[in-house]
Amino acid sequence: MFKKEVWRHFDYWLFGAVLLLSVFGIIMIRSAVAGNEELAGSVQSQSIYVGLGMAIILITTAIDYRLLVSISRWLYILTIILLIGINLIGEEAFGSTRWFQIGVINVQPSELAKIVMVLVLANFFSQASTQQHNLRWIMRSFMLTAGMVVWILLQPNLSTSIVIFVLWFAMLWISGLPTRFMVIFGLIGLIVLVVFIILIVSGVDIPFLEDYQITRIVNFLFPDPSARHGETYNVEQALVTIGSGGWFGAGYGNGTQVQLRFLKVRHTDFIFSAMAEEFGFVGTVIVMALLVFVVLRCLYVARNAADQFGALVAYGIATLIFFQMAVNIGVNLNVLPVTGLTLPFISYGGSSLLSLVLGIGLVESVAAHGKTLAF
Amino acid sequence: MSQSELEQKPGLSIWRVIIFYGVIAAVMLYYVFRLFTLQIVSGEDYRNRAEDNRTMEVSLPTERGSIYDRNGYILARNIPSYNLTIIPANLPADEGATQGIFRQLSELIDIPVNNGEINEETERNFTPCQTDLGISQIVFIGDSLAPFNPVRVKCNIDAAVAKVIAEKSKDLPGVEIEIESVREYPTGSTTAQVVGFLGPIPAIEQGYWESLGFVSNRDKVGYAGVENSLNEILIGKNGRRIVEVDNAGKILRDLEPPVVPVPGNSVRLTIDTRLQSIAEAALVQWMNTWNLRLGEQKYTSGAVIAMDPKTGEILALVSYPSYENNRMARLIPAYYFEQLQNDPHRPLFNTAISAEHPPGSVFKMATAIGILNEGVVTPEKLINDPGVIRIEEKFFENDPNPRTREYVCYLYKDTGGGHGDLDYLGGLSQSCDVYFYKVGGGYKDEVPEGLGIWRMGEYARALGYGQVLGIELPGEQDGLIPDPNWKRVTVGENWSTGDTYIATIGQGYVLSTPLQVLVSVATLANDGKLMRPTIVREILDANGEVIQPFQADMLWDITKDPMIHVYDEDFFQTGELKTVEPWVVDMAKRGMREVVANGTATDAFIGSEIPSAGKTGTAEYCDDIAREKHICVPGSWPAHAWYVGYAPFDDPQIAVVAFIYNGDEGARLSAPVVRQVMDGFFELKEIDTGLETASNP
Repeated sequence: MFKKEVWRHFDYWLFGAVLLLSVFGIIMIRSAVAGNEELAGSVQSQSIYVGLGMAIILITTAIDYRLLVSISRWLYILTIILLIGINLIGEEAFGSTRWFQIGVINVQPSELAKIVMVLVLANFFSQASTQQHNLRWIMRSFMLTAGMVVWILLQPNLSTSIVIFVLWFAMLWISGLPTRFMVIFGLIGLIVLVVFIILIVSGVDIPFLEDYQITRIVNFLFPDPSARHGETYNVEQALVTIGSGGWFGAGYGNGTQVQLRFLKVRHTDFIFSAMAEEFGFVGTVIVMALLVFVVLRCLYVARNAADQFGALVAYGIATLIFFQMAVNIGVNLNVLPVTGLTLPFISYGGSSLLSLVLGIGLVESVAAHGKTLAF
Repeated sequence: MSQSELEQKPGLSIWRVIIFYGVIAAVMLYYVFRLFTLQIVSGEDYRNRAEDNRTMEVSLPTERGSIYDRNGYILARNIPSYNLTIIPANLPADEGATQGIFRQLSELIDIPVNNGEINEETERNFTPCQTDLGISQIVFIGDSLAPFNPVRVKCNIDAAVAKVIAEKSKDLPGVEIEIESVREYPTGSTTAQVVGFLGPIPAIEQGYWESLGFVSNRDKVGYAGVENSLNEILIGKNGRRIVEVDNAGKILRDLEPPVVPVPGNSVRLTIDTRLQSIAEAALVQWMNTWNLRLGEQKYTSGAVIAMDPKTGEILALVSYPSYENNRMARLIPAYYFEQLQNDPHRPLFNTAISAEHPPGSVFKMATAIGILNEGVVTPEKLINDPGVIRIEEKFFENDPNPRTREYVCYLYKDTGGGHGDLDYLGGLSQSCDVYFYKVGGGYKDEVPEGLGIWRMGEYARALGYGQVLGIELPGEQDGLIPDPNWKRVTVGENWSTGDTYIATIGQGYVLSTPLQVLVSVATLANDGKLMRPTIVREILDANGEVIQPFQADMLWDITKDPMIHVYDEDFFQTGELKTVEPWVVDMAKRGMREVVANGTATDAFIGSEIPSAGKTGTAEYCDDIAREKHICVPGSWPAHAWYVGYAPFDDPQIAVVAFIYNGDEGARLSAPVVRQVMDGFFELKEIDTGLETASNP
């Protein structure tokens, strides 16, 4: 390894922003779980994950991303095996099977699958970049994606499946998806969405959709204003929580909606709302800006990458972070139906954090090793 | 395009990256805008909602004041009632242990552990204490509503069971005994018409009571009797805590210093429960005696009121039939209330102050002071009663077609004769109708100018007729003193000479309440001083200290306060006012003494040790009930029985009225009741002053 060269091109801005967000996440989780005995260990475990995560970034940076090209096929197969394994023997948690317990660490193969799919798709599109961008090209990339997603859908885990399909589409788009397909895809997407909503509203069973997922969507489209608990109540309380923040917020640990537990799932899905109450408009916009900075920094690395594979990897990670963040904030602001997607780096959850820092590590690797060939 | 892009290696198509930047910018700008809308534009609104979430007002119930009689005997008090409640959040986490607690409770309070199904409908219809659901179901609903709030599982459990559960409380986490205060009326139906009862805050008044800090479905307000009329004094003021709660409803701290509840004041009434019982027994037994004798339930309702004429204190107030107010102590049972409402004898209706009936001959006292004060006749002037007189019924002066009608004295119906020549005292003591026809309406040359309806009304009002007197009970009525204007407006007919004749003896259009009849005679007994009838003796605070002592309230003195309008010859008011001469009042009293000593009430008072005075009344009527029974026969109308009297004659200490609906004859039905009440009063007085042993060795 060209150690000196590697660290000369290491993106300290990106690392710094991620570290800042992760530490802020720990602080916010501490406030969100205050007074809840069951969740008292969250702060400690998240701290361990953040420490572990930073190490992963550094280790991954040190590895030349090009090495991953050769093993991406094996990673793809391994991940599918893990996903099948989880469907067979995994532990039940929150109604659907998603976890592997390895020691103290819960490994969620579907989180890993996101990163693996970034690598696999980046490999596919960089190798196929000389090919004709025709329907066959699109279908091959689609089959590659579907081969992974089908196992995630079976868990069932709709949100991760959607994330991976969005990833596929974003990679397809950046790799030169012709405009005519774009239009066709757009139309198909629109029709599917309309049919989907009609089916849901008319109460028809849809494969891969659990009842609670249908309820979420129905609640989003037709909220029941008098609900005392359940999804609508949670979303409504999130709005109250955000709204009561004002310009500068109630102050750390002083948000009544958070501290008195009117806000539900406040350390994971709704940590954005908790933050908005305690730090207000100004604080929240700063955190949002920091997240956008991370995305933009990834894109900067992508644009300055030494090769197509590296560029696509960095771009893929940027898409992943941006999409998760946009969906999570959208749910908090009640402009999207409730999903299980967390706020990158800030929400509680080791698996999600680990896969994200793995992604950041890859981006750092692209940044650091890109220039090593250019001497 | 593909060709040019393929050449851009390595790296990404710039315009595609720019579009991606555009998407990021668009999404983030929209989110910032949305965030701004929520936090800054509607921030105030959401802050209020957050504040609403965390603050809760807890109302601390006050205690209603007690009601005592004049001797301190309890008429209404609060007693504890025990409810079994469960705080779902405090139940053991272990489902088996919880079920064990439920099974133990089930045996004690006789409610199944599981009964009924939980669904949206049962959850919506759930009303604590009035549900068929099992304990598990009740707790489940309570848990889903507010886990830290106690949910009532069973209300009004046996005190012994409550004690057992309270003792076991360590083994029964989450189970609590709630003590609720309910009303008890030791004297029950005897004083129900005076004391009344409580009920839930009516929906129509909810806003008013809640603005005063009372809680619907928990706090109660007076519905009848002094519970109603003195509600403001008795009810007290709820305390209040503003607390911070968490999402589960658990109280964390006080946000403001708590306001402690102020207990209601207690009231000592003027009623003497012993005399009340005597009066009730006298009325009911006498009516029943006659019902037995007649073999039919003829006499079914009536009223007795006793009063101290010098102070206006009501010593007893009986309205029969009454109701059992203890049955309304916890809640008003629908079937019982319906039964009371549909009873033709109207047990919820306070006959003593709300019933308006023709007063009959007791009203002659108003006419009697009028004729002397106006100089229509002198006390010595003899008026002849031939038994029947005929006058031309004129509806206006110079009526060309007068109808000749007969006016008879009651004696004529039985004997065919009259009372002969009578002076003032004779006219009163014999209650001679013809005497009063002639002096009231005028008769030929014998009484060229009668008192007339206008002037009669003045004297009636001076004695308390035709107005609300202000007793502290709900539903007091004002009665009616008719006059020509009233008749024209209401009946659409001119006033006739005959109307005056009939009004003179308290019949026809004249209506009064038993209370007014009592006050009219008590005023004369008290030498013209009209005392406002009152039922409240003292108001006491929660510690029993008197905060408002008794003070007699004289409304007016007819011998001193000029209140009689002077009329000119065309019966227009001249604007002058005059008083009633004291000698007129004296003559009226002598007349009432004659009634007892040598008149219509003599038989009823034979052997009475204490000299009393009074006036009988037999008031013919024909109301809807009588018409339905077809007893409105001309010449033999049904009649109400009245007697009003006071004793001792020279130093009045008690005035009593007895009214029996459809009681046929005042002297026979009502006078003996009054006598018994008077006898009872003096007997009680002897007991109270310790003279009993002296007089009965």
